[in-house]
Amino acid sequence: MTEFSPFTAVIGQPFMQRALVGGLLTGALGGLLGSFAVLRQLSFFSDALGHSALLGISLGILLGLNPTLVLIPFAVLFALLVNLLVQRSQLPTDALLNIVYSTSLAFAVVALSLVTTYKGGIQQLLFGDILGISWLDLALIAVLLVAAVAYLLVSLRAQVLVTLHADLAGAFGVGSQWHRIAFILLLAVVVAVSIKAVGVLLISAFVVIPACASRLVSRRFGTYLVLSSVIGGGCAVLGLLGSGLTNLPSGPCVVIVQFFGFLLALGVSLWRRGRGRAALA
Amino acid sequence: MAVLEVEGLRVLRDGVLAVDDVSFQLAAESDTALVGPNGAGKSSLVGAILGLIPRQAGEVRILGHRLGPAGQLPGQVRAQLAFLPQALPLQGRLPLTVAEFVGFGWDPPGPRLPWIGGAERRSAVRSALVKTGCGPLAERLLSELSGGQLKRVLLAFCVVRPRRLLVLDEAQAGLDAPSTEQFHSLLFDLRRSEGWTVLQVSHDLDMVRRSCDQVLCLNRQLRCSGRPELALSRAQLERLYDPADLPSHPRRQAPMGRPRIG
Repeated sequence: MTEFSPFTAVIGQPFMQRALVGGLLTGALGGLLGSFAVLRQLSFFSDALGHSALLGISLGILLGLNPTLVLIPFAVLFALLVNLLVQRSQLPTDALLNIVYSTSLAFAVVALSLVTTYKGGIQQLLFGDILGISWLDLALIAVLLVAAVAYLLVSLRAQVLVTLHADLAGAFGVGSQWHRIAFILLLAVVVAVSIKAVGVLLISAFVVIPACASRLVSRRFGTYLVLSSVIGGGCAVLGLLGSGLTNLPSGPCVVIVQFFGFLLALGVSLWRRGRGRAALA
Repeated sequence: MAVLEVEGLRVLRDGVLAVDDVSFQLAAESDTALVGPNGAGKSSLVGAILGLIPRQAGEVRILGHRLGPAGQLPGQVRAQLAFLPQALPLQGRLPLTVAEFVGFGWDPPGPRLPWIGGAERRSAVRSALVKTGCGPLAERLLSELSGGQLKRVLLAFCVVRPRRLLVLDEAQAGLDAPSTEQFHSLLFDLRRSEGWTVLQVSHDLDMVRRSCDQVLCLNRQLRCSGRPELALSRAQLERLYDPADLPSHPRRQAPMGRPRIG
């Protein structure tokens, strides 16, 4: 009789295999986009987008539509609206985002309280259900990852210059405004597609933590981008395996692993700085 | 043919008239200073010339090509333009080495795969770093540079591919006196060796007197223009500046020489 180890038993399950692939792709995608989002101070934007997505999900449920399908146009409209408000109003961006996301959250909770037919739990919306990810979801995330890599690769110069100095970018032929909007839209679609797996509360961790960890240890821009994706994807896989072995919630497990990855990067960064100072002394 | 032609330019900034009916031309390989008091519209004029700020009226032609209303220029003309801002406030945020940054200056405008032209790009970056005395800084992060080093790196970013017109917006701001001197010496040499036409916004009238061929005095409108010794006479300056802002008399200094790069 063949004996299965707990590890083999976990990865032998088809739903777990889909979750691992989904985690790898979502983590890598979050890390990649997060690397620019963090530098452009869009971390809070992804958080606000995640929270506001609950309103999109509620609208989908109220209208009897697939929430994922409603979520993408909702996120795109939300991103464009917030961008317009930031451009036109004189208010600080963080205050404006706070108004928009807390209001959408309030509307979403009211809308959900009116729904009697919804079978899913609120916890699934808040923390995601990566174990319930389908092949269609995986295909969508894979297409998005390929599109994001292609866009960022061919426009790398533009992305870096826009991040560094908008006027410098403009003078050297980069359409700063178009690239800024295109990036925000891409981020919005990625957040919308990843919500099902990651949940509205944890999505910003997927965007922010791997990028910050990578920023701490990278000395080249190319390394920073690749490492951010690797940390994002790697932590997702480790977190999911840990979750499967311990029977703990998957989304939070991934974020906890990301946090430990961040602590490790912080340690490496501090150690390097200390070594640099010692060499100078 | 003039490298830059500006005709009847009018620019509004936040609903306020910042530049009104400004016309001038820059001859090839000339060095022109744009001077004037704070709020005179110098940065607005530069922004409109580069196509960063829309213009309400007038024409801008660069190398004979008309700048479109939204700043459009043919790619090959845009590639001939370079710009040096006052500072890069976000330089500390990006994990970007000097060599990587200068490499982005070599890339032509438009989409492109990063690995295309790799050897030619690396060679151009090495050459630009040597020309600006930034060779030893190649692997340093932008965040690790002093103000003077960053300005030299910005010049390397401009010199990494052949260009015709260089626009500087108070590029020496924030530098101490020795760094300012070093920066202008390097700019002077590069202008000669690269054949750049330079338009620089400056508050340093001593430097303008010593190194520029032409001065444009702006206070919303062009108040005077011509050779520095005429355009920056005491009488002209009194007309351009408020008495409280009037710059002091020039210091006696040696003409620009070879750069001293340390």
